[in-house]
Amino acid sequence: MSRYGADIFNDSSVSLDHVSLKYPTSSEVLNDVSLNLKQGSFTFLTGASGAGKTSLLRLLYLALRPTEGEVSLFGRSTSTLNRRELSALRRRIGVVFQEFRLLDHLTAYENAALPLRVRGRKEKSYREDVEELLAWVGLGERMHAKPRTLSGGEQQRVAIARALVGRPDLLIADEPTGNVDPDMGARLMRLFGELNRRLGATVIIATHDLTLIRELDQPVYRLQHGLLVRDAEFGSAA
Amino acid sequence: MSDSQREAPLLPVEDAREAALFFVVCALCFLAALAALTGRATYGAAQEWTSDVEGELTIRLSGADMRAADAARDLVADMPNVRDARVLDRDETATLLEPWFGSSGLPSSLPLPILIAVQADPSATDMGPNIQRRLTEEGFAAAVDEHSDWAGDVRRALGSVRLAALGAVALLAATAVAVIAFATHAALLARKDIVEVLHLSGAEDRFVSRLFERRFWVLALRAGSVGALAALGAASLLSYSLSQGGGRDWLLPTLRLDLVDLSILISTPIMAAFAARFAARITVLRSLAETV
Repeated sequence: MSRYGADIFNDSSVSLDHVSLKYPTSSEVLNDVSLNLKQGSFTFLTGASGAGKTSLLRLLYLALRPTEGEVSLFGRSTSTLNRRELSALRRRIGVVFQEFRLLDHLTAYENAALPLRVRGRKEKSYREDVEELLAWVGLGERMHAKPRTLSGGEQQRVAIARALVGRPDLLIADEPTGNVDPDMGARLMRLFGELNRRLGATVIIATHDLTLIRELDQPVYRLQHGLLVRDAEFGSAA
Repeated sequence: MSDSQREAPLLPVEDAREAALFFVVCALCFLAALAALTGRATYGAAQEWTSDVEGELTIRLSGADMRAADAARDLVADMPNVRDARVLDRDETATLLEPWFGSSGLPSSLPLPILIAVQADPSATDMGPNIQRRLTEEGFAAAVDEHSDWAGDVRRALGSVRLAALGAVALLAATAVAVIAFATHAALLARKDIVEVLHLSGAEDRFVSRLFERRFWVLALRAGSVGALAALGAASLLSYSLSQGGGRDWLLPTLRLDLVDLSILISTPIMAAFAARFAARITVLRSLAETV
């Protein structure tokens, strides 16, 4: 294992430069983390519960600012961007939250279409795409159901559809297979892989699922005590 | 599935908090419209009265008979800026005394003062002292009462009434803005999860603020309309009950329901809606500016 595991690429999609993060009421969650991921890379992030995986992802999808250091996305430093530019940058990121974060009063279809609606797209222009995507994740018959009536796995698939619907340049998924059966997990991973290969999207997946990690054999970064280290065991093919 | 079903509001439909806010905005609009309507009615009634008495004077002659009264009237009528002067007959004088002696008539033996009613040009100044001086010079024992002295007091009181009404409306508007700002802030906190998901999906601050603006705009428009209608009902009732006072309602406020009154009623919910929109926008944008 090499500390930081920094792979430096000129066409970096995600770059963390000596990033530290500390919440006001806790000790340091991330400590001097540096990371460079090139556009189109596929990366796993792993670590014990509470190691800071979600915090690191929150920095990447711009829900948090680092206490120290610099986060850059698509070659732009996020610390100098104004709120409008940050919103524009967020539109290039698809996020699958660990707790799904679906809007309870909207249907599965409306939740999945949310990023497109936020962009001001007319419903007619995306209806087919959203329906097709929901059908693909196995929710063709449930697209008008409200989240409360869906199972955990179904909710997770809605969250995944929402993350993918805008064809993001960067897909961040926090335990995306935690609530689905192995078949669906594998299917979702294939979808992420397809998005990665065909559209050149950078994919970062936080997971505990070692089977999945072994199967895909992509680079793995491990968070331990606030430090990010590259796990040399995986990703030799990448 | 229809488009309207697909385009569900991004903020959940109203909840109990909004019902409470509806009531508060409704009550504020009711009070504001009622203050404006009654303020205007009072001001209008008093203004009519003051314009009526403008230029009016009453001369009370002491120790004079009707011949002397006619002479004094002729003397005053010939003075510059005097439009009319006439001696009040016994019945007219008795009518003036009605509030004190009742309407059953005065005993014929009761001596009544001789009064001369004078109508002068309202723009003329010092008419009271001039008439007083002229009558004294000619040997009449007279006391001149210039009604505009009373009108001045009424005008000053009117100014205060108008200021109080405007102050009440301004205070109620400020209260409405503060209440809605508070409610927006509470709604924002309650919907923090939704706002964050929208943000992380790429929504700009204006997109999020528009959702709240629209919500509170509609709420204030509805609540304001109900409040304004209730104010119309209350003002009508008040006006009607005052008009039942019996003949001397000329000084009492009357609801005219003219164009100005109607614009007060129509503008109340519109102003409330604008205030709500403004409060919601400022609150949301300020709150969002504190987030990442």
